[in-house]
Amino acid sequence: MPLTGAQAGYGNDFVTGMRMAVKDVNDAGGIAGRPVELVTLDTQAEPQLGINAVNRLIGVEKMPMVLVAWSSVVKAVAPICNREKVLEINTGANSPEIATLGDYVYTAFPLAEVDITKLAQYVYQTLGKRRAAVLYINNDTGIDAAKLYRDTFTKAGGQVVAFEAYDPKATEFTGMLLKTRAANPDVVHLHGLTADTPQVIAQMRQLGLTQQITTYSAGYNPKLIEQCGPAAEGLIVTSLAPGVQENANVAPFLERWKKEVGRVPNGLPYVQYQYDMIPLAKALYDHVDKKGQPATGDTLRDALVEIRTFDLPMTGKMVIDGHRVNKPVYLLTVKKGAFVPLATLS
Amino acid sequence: MEYLSTIGILIAIYVILAASYNLVIGYGGLATVAHPIFFAIGAYVSGLLAIHTSLPPPVTVLVGAACAMLASLLLAASALRVSGDYLLIASLGFQLGLLQLIKNLEFTGGPGGLGGIPATIVGPARTPAYLVIAALLAIATVFAIRALVRGPYGRAITAMRDEELAFTALGRNAMSMKLVIFAIGCGIAGVAGGLYAFYFQYVSPDQFEVLQSAAILTMVVLGGMGTAFGPVVGAVLLLAIPQAITFLQLPPSIMAPMQGIIFTVLVLVFLFLRPAGIMGHAGRRRRTAGLT
Repeated sequence: MPLTGAQAGYGNDFVTGMRMAVKDVNDAGGIAGRPVELVTLDTQAEPQLGINAVNRLIGVEKMPMVLVAWSSVVKAVAPICNREKVLEINTGANSPEIATLGDYVYTAFPLAEVDITKLAQYVYQTLGKRRAAVLYINNDTGIDAAKLYRDTFTKAGGQVVAFEAYDPKATEFTGMLLKTRAANPDVVHLHGLTADTPQVIAQMRQLGLTQQITTYSAGYNPKLIEQCGPAAEGLIVTSLAPGVQENANVAPFLERWKKEVGRVPNGLPYVQYQYDMIPLAKALYDHVDKKGQPATGDTLRDALVEIRTFDLPMTGKMVIDGHRVNKPVYLLTVKKGAFVPLATLS
Repeated sequence: MEYLSTIGILIAIYVILAASYNLVIGYGGLATVAHPIFFAIGAYVSGLLAIHTSLPPPVTVLVGAACAMLASLLLAASALRVSGDYLLIASLGFQLGLLQLIKNLEFTGGPGGLGGIPATIVGPARTPAYLVIAALLAIATVFAIRALVRGPYGRAITAMRDEELAFTALGRNAMSMKLVIFAIGCGIAGVAGGLYAFYFQYVSPDQFEVLQSAAILTMVVLGGMGTAFGPVVGAVLLLAIPQAITFLQLPPSIMAPMQGIIFTVLVLVFLFLRPAGIMGHAGRRRRTAGLT
């Protein structure tokens, strides 16, 4: 996980979420009486550092299973895990390519197909939009998702009138936005990262683009509302984890964050997934223990495939579907400066 | 062992990179920052050839190195006419431009990076085999460069670096010499790239950004610019220290910020105590002795 660098805000909260789960599992007796220990290494979300970290976890700490996030790191360490027969679980990256990285690479986090296709269908069918503009960040997160959105929306019968990419380091989007305005869409899908999404939204509103904006879970962030103010009103975001209304465990979890950390986590749905990785790991180890097998990458992987359906405290039911998972998508919208649930797409 | 071997391979690759960069900037005095892009060209070309063709790996690495060399000639032919600061800017532009190209082409994997490079060597002997290959290549590179700069041609190179006007006045062609040094240095970087692609089986454009230029430059400067073994020391220190710090058993909340701080402080201390680089003094004495 990135503990320093540009992505550290999320990375540290991911680890804090996992640590809370480790405490809970240990308080309840650990795994068959043995305490769970979390070994964390910094990747800075950089492929090379990720490779070093995973090599160390496998070579020095002899870990049979690693939890990894951020698409480029998940991809960079995949050859090592396949070679060393260590189970790699993606906990937060959503590049569709992750499903095809090899026999030992699984995901516990829904890949972009899940929320983007459902969102695009919802926008066409329920919101009745016909002309979409797709603005995306020019990296693996943006490109793959933007193509998925375009293809789904066009297949449903809609028209994509603008398909514009922006540089990950850009801070100024006027050219792209004026082009979008000229194309006259009735809905804009924005697929960026947490850092640039508020800037694009603010500039869009300044330039007089009043269309409905949709984005994905990167937009589901209380900071966005703070930064954009009234410009965020009406924004539709997706969340891949149930919120306070849908899952009774989430409210106490938030309270615990406020008590222990003094604030709510960055990217709550992501952190819910991180928490759930520990109960998931416990389920795998318990399964292996019950069969009297040693915990290796192979046996843990078999356990994952054999158990298949997991009931996890923060994100609910998870079904492993080959190298993918399927989950319901929760839509939220910004109303009077707060996220309120809009619909659940299953 | 696997872990230490992997760090060893990474160090060997960076020794090759830093030594070749030292040839260009330290001995040749050519202020370029684009070295990582030739590393990238080597990595991408050999990776793509390994994926799409059945050429033997050493051939793909050599083709990658040849492409890096060709690209370096393209940059050099235009930019070396103007030297000094202009070369710096031209090389930066060249690096950023090519990176944009890699990020926006479909067959290079775009910004998501190029994966699926075949493993080539399989089984438990893989990492030790790569370690031996990488170490041999690194040693060969360092000693080849050392032999080159210690010979008569090397004296001509340093003469050109230190006093280009006098050098040309003696009837030597500075331009062709710069082209040769640049092509050799960048070609070697291409070899390092090929090695990287085959061992790690994944390359992404972010790995070859300006930050990488800074890292290699730090290795050269810290170790001792214009010395044969300086880049080796620099590469070993810069790659081993951050790894060693993670073994200090600090809690992660302290470890994360401390890692950056310890590392920066160490680099500053070295630069302060040994401004000419760790190997700098010994190297300079030897060179002066050789000239008199």
